[in-house]
Amino acid sequence: MTETALTYQTVDDTVLATLRPPEKSYWIAVALLFAGILMGAGCWLYQILTGIGVGGQNNPVHWGTYLINFVFWVGIAHSGTLISAILHLFRAGWRNPIARAAETMTVFAVCTAGLYPFVHLGRVWMVYYMLPIPSQRTLWPNFTSPLMFDVVAISTYLTVSSLFWYTGMLPDLAIIRDRAKGTRRKIFAILSLGWTGEFEQWRHYTRGYLFFAALATPLVISVHSVVSWDFALGVVPGWHTTIFAPYFVAGAIHSGLAMVITLMIPLRKIFHYEQIITIGVLEMVAKTIVFTGLIVGFAYGTEVFIAWYSHNIVEMETFRWRAFGDYALEYWIMVVCNTVIPLLFLFKGVRTHLKWLFVISIFVNIGMWYERFVIIIGSVAHDFIPHTWGLYRPSLVEFGIMIGSFCLFFFLFVLFVKHLPSVSMTEIKEALPTGGGHGN
Amino acid sequence: MATERTRVMGLFDTEGQTASAIRGLRNDGYTLERVHGPIPSHVVADALALPKSRVGWFTLAGGITGFFCGFLLAAFTATRWHLIVGGKPIVALVPFVIVGFEFTILFAVFGNVLGLISQARLPRFGPVTPYDPRLTGHKFGVLASCETARKNDLFRFLEAKGAEIKADEGGQP
Repeated sequence: MTETALTYQTVDDTVLATLRPPEKSYWIAVALLFAGILMGAGCWLYQILTGIGVGGQNNPVHWGTYLINFVFWVGIAHSGTLISAILHLFRAGWRNPIARAAETMTVFAVCTAGLYPFVHLGRVWMVYYMLPIPSQRTLWPNFTSPLMFDVVAISTYLTVSSLFWYTGMLPDLAIIRDRAKGTRRKIFAILSLGWTGEFEQWRHYTRGYLFFAALATPLVISVHSVVSWDFALGVVPGWHTTIFAPYFVAGAIHSGLAMVITLMIPLRKIFHYEQIITIGVLEMVAKTIVFTGLIVGFAYGTEVFIAWYSHNIVEMETFRWRAFGDYALEYWIMVVCNTVIPLLFLFKGVRTHLKWLFVISIFVNIGMWYERFVIIIGSVAHDFIPHTWGLYRPSLVEFGIMIGSFCLFFFLFVLFVKHLPSVSMTEIKEALPTGGGHGN
Repeated sequence: MATERTRVMGLFDTEGQTASAIRGLRNDGYTLERVHGPIPSHVVADALALPKSRVGWFTLAGGITGFFCGFLLAAFTATRWHLIVGGKPIVALVPFVIVGFEFTILFAVFGNVLGLISQARLPRFGPVTPYDPRLTGHKFGVLASCETARKNDLFRFLEAKGAEIKADEGGQP
């Protein structure tokens, strides 16, 4: 069948078929992921009861995998907003089949990222110190700190992306309601807020959705800029640079797009979305990855160039050590996975081949995780004074929490795809040729 | 004495048929009550000639409120305890504008949602009659009314436009 064979009804049928009661293998996957979450939660509980010292963080590296994973997951979130908001403003039709799943990825990735500041706090019950609330201590947070910008930015991002996601789903929830029976119908009647597809509703909805996209666009850029300022506003060599905001935003989108491919390929296969999430759609994502990869590569080069050009001996030593010091392997994994391997997408045969797409997306995910490792660990491990230099390796507890967080993300995503429409039926219908697919 | 009126819904397969029916109904003096569709069709919207939504005003109001809330919150917390570093101002413009910016987006989105649900009159859980479950899926629906004496004319008109006639029965929960 060709793509043009899609009609309004076949779109509905294809997507609604994914919501049928799952097979046993699905529940086994859910159970395994849940076991992973329990393992991670157990490690966190152990850390709470024993002390933050069970992690590998120590002098001089106090920001370890908890901050790496925080930045990694915030980065993953970004391409969801790129696809759902920025590409919506650009009227890029190829985004429609993957927009819903990418938005969902955003929401769950921000939830996962948001856990890490709690984990990193150690005394997690003290989290309210960061909230501007009156208390007996008469202490208030200081909003001149980028860490406080972060609290505001990430909370805003989670709230906005969740509302954007839910609002975008309203017409689809009504489709499910109108085909459901019994309790399921009642649940979706509430979730869909009584949506009937009246043009009086569409009139306000399309306007509101446009504003959502217009607001989410600067927000997504500001959020990772703020995350980058957690580092750039410090004086640590390798961090204290004006390039960080655009560099982080490009890296975030790079990693997020790779995660989109990683999620879309199994989703497409398992739910028979071949007609909707076409190779052409994945190819467009791959082309965008080439673009973001080149930006990231340019940023890597600029960092090294500026270190040399500044003739600042500390900066020069930091970048020499990154490439040839104790973390050279991590550095070169970062460079190769993020800038060299994605260039394979320049070949049409590679970017239109599912296995290549999937494998390269995994390499980019790995590379982007290591980018955060290199930036966060590499700078503080080797800063101004040689006698304070030191190395860091994550402890087993940190690995446990990290694996738990990955399981949490995939657990939420797997639950989502079986209970809510993972492809926006309405947006797919909008993209069909006018008058060419309204079946009976 | 009020004239008895009849409501009839025509279900169409395409947006083109729907737009044609809407224009025809208006020209022939029928009352157009509601139009439904599975997508926000521009063709249908043009035929309806709907005014621009006012959701944006809610968004704007939210954004302006948000900026001042964010900036003033940061200024308020800073002035509770004067932590002077290097003679820098207590109410620091640049960092507080960042907080103001994030609150601008947050409150603008709250305003947007408020505008959307208030203008579109959501949530709405009462029955909508007549209604057809296919309206959210693959059919466009046009609900028109006329004096009962012209009922048959309306039926014929809608059928001529390619509609499947939907009787006024049963609603959406």
